[in-house]
Amino acid sequence: MKCIIEGNGIKVFGKAVHALSRISEEIWLDPLEEGLAVRTVNSSQSAYACFFFTPLFFQQYIPDPDTQKDCEAVKCKLNTKCVLPLFRCVSWRERSVDRCEITIKNPDSRVIFQFHCRHGITKTHNLGYQECEALQAVFPAHLCPNVLKSHSKLLGDIVVHFPISQEEVTLSISSLKVALKTFYEEENSCIKGMNTELMLHPDEFDYFQVGEDSAVTFCLKELRGLLSFAESYGLPVSCHFGVAGQPVSFTVKDMMLEAHVVLSTLTDPDHESPSQSAPGDDCSVTISKTSTVEISTSEGPMEAEVCIADGERVASSQGSEVFHPALHMRKMIQLHAPGEILPRPSLAPESALTTPITPATFKIRSLLFGAVLSDGVDGNTADLPSLVCGSDTEEDGGSEEGHR
Amino acid sequence: MPLSTQSQADIDQYILIASLDNARNLSNILKAISFKDHAIFNATQNGLKVTVEDSKCLQANAFIQADIFQEYTIKEDAVGFQVNLTVLLDCLTIFGGSTVPGVCTALRMCYNGYGYPLTLFLEEGGVVTVCKINTQEPEEPIDFDFCSTNVTNKVILQSDSLKEAFSELDMTSEVLQITMSPSHPYFRLSTFGNSGNAHYDYPKDSDMMELFQCTKLQTNRYKMSLLKPSTKALALSCKVSVRTDSRGFLSLQYLVRNDDGQICFVEYYCCPDEEVGEE
Repeated sequence: MKCIIEGNGIKVFGKAVHALSRISEEIWLDPLEEGLAVRTVNSSQSAYACFFFTPLFFQQYIPDPDTQKDCEAVKCKLNTKCVLPLFRCVSWRERSVDRCEITIKNPDSRVIFQFHCRHGITKTHNLGYQECEALQAVFPAHLCPNVLKSHSKLLGDIVVHFPISQEEVTLSISSLKVALKTFYEEENSCIKGMNTELMLHPDEFDYFQVGEDSAVTFCLKELRGLLSFAESYGLPVSCHFGVAGQPVSFTVKDMMLEAHVVLSTLTDPDHESPSQSAPGDDCSVTISKTSTVEISTSEGPMEAEVCIADGERVASSQGSEVFHPALHMRKMIQLHAPGEILPRPSLAPESALTTPITPATFKIRSLLFGAVLSDGVDGNTADLPSLVCGSDTEEDGGSEEGHR
Repeated sequence: MPLSTQSQADIDQYILIASLDNARNLSNILKAISFKDHAIFNATQNGLKVTVEDSKCLQANAFIQADIFQEYTIKEDAVGFQVNLTVLLDCLTIFGGSTVPGVCTALRMCYNGYGYPLTLFLEEGGVVTVCKINTQEPEEPIDFDFCSTNVTNKVILQSDSLKEAFSELDMTSEVLQITMSPSHPYFRLSTFGNSGNAHYDYPKDSDMMELFQCTKLQTNRYKMSLLKPSTKALALSCKVSVRTDSRGFLSLQYLVRNDDGQICFVEYYCCPDEEVGEE
């Protein structure tokens, strides 16, 4: 892969890297035909972010310079700590850096960041990378009952009232209002520190849709990176969510790039979402073979890997012709008895996305991410599926990853 | 001014007297070489030379010419002593380091000779402090035997461009490699750290490059820990000259302008890291 970013784009890319660094220490680079996806997922797999840069963003974008058709563009994983310093002092850089070239050199296992600066000075950084499978979460945002869209400044103004140390917040929505408040664990415990609650009238938002009254609790820290990114560029932010337990997604979009942050939310012990029928429940479902997102489990607890079968194409979860969200949504909500063995990649795709019941204890849970910090689940943690594909094994064996 | 109330007899016994209206003109430049506790002072008719060394591989010298001082009297050809530089700097900045305009510390530095302490009279806003710092037998500074005739490669750069590079240098790299060549890459700084390697290239036609005289390709590595202190001198300077000789020894010379716009020099000499020789 080779791409060239010029002028202001370097600052934008740098800010994207900063935003991603708030979530995790690793960055996945995935050069696709449609553009460059830069993704990250946190260690507990409860937060995922993806910045997708279309070819318009670049002065030049070549996903796969190799003339051989068989050779796929290399996907690689970098340590954020190595990349972040290159884009530090962004405002200064903006003045002195004219052009940034990013090249992935497969034979050397190096990603080369070359900065062409004023006065003819060139700075070249060769970083080692780990080759890996693509990291991807599929999230049917357009099926979410609740949608909020507003200018980033509004969200920035809201979020500024919460201290930086505040981990979790609860976003609640009804047809009358939207509220964001500090989340604290025990209802009856004395309130430590300061609790904040902000209420907004639906009119404050550029777009307000409430399909279902709900309150979702998620980690604010991981979102701040995206919000500050959006604020720097004055882009609107969309928020899609459902009921407690379902992930919440925040999206920033313009002609040249698309950024998503998907966060898991706390399950509400009072209503286990399972029995509700989801929109699209009754859709007939077909999955074309090439779109299969197969799921397998790894040995360790709380870890689940997803392998992207060959022909993976989905960069954005919305409106993709190969991804049939109805199936996934339906299957996600369908609950089966614990102990159900999850399929190996060779099994039919329809059975791939089942989720066993989890006891009604209060815990962080994500339908997408399958990472459960569970107290009461006995031995089921390994069975939870995850739609986030994050292969961390040293051997990268293509789609054979899942075969254990 | 209070400092002049010393008796004539006192003044007569000093073999060296150096006075400054603004002590920062001395303290700032000494900070640029203060990576070790001890400094060797060598005063001649021309001015003051202060030397600091590290592990026999690195030497830094600061030159403050006689005409920088408001008063400079020396009664012998050469006066040498060694003092604790950290203590000296603490005394020179004893009134705090405030940069309130118009307020500065005046200094009179006096030395009686061998065996006597170095006496500093410092005054600010009517308050006088007298400091006496013990001196030691001066060690002989290493002679790196770096002479102009042996210089193979020389460049003079405007400091700003190097300041950026030095502030970004990958500190996980044990060495800093300097490549100088009459052809590409001309002048290159390289690091080899945990995450990978990095190269900073300065082409010979860059407008930051004031002088470019490279006769042959030379690549030398220097321990990062030795060169890191030179960043202080770089920060103060407006221009720097980088020279290497046939043995790979490095000479960095910094042109520093003090508060009053007068010019002083700081130079660093460094031995190459032994494992890698000249290419």
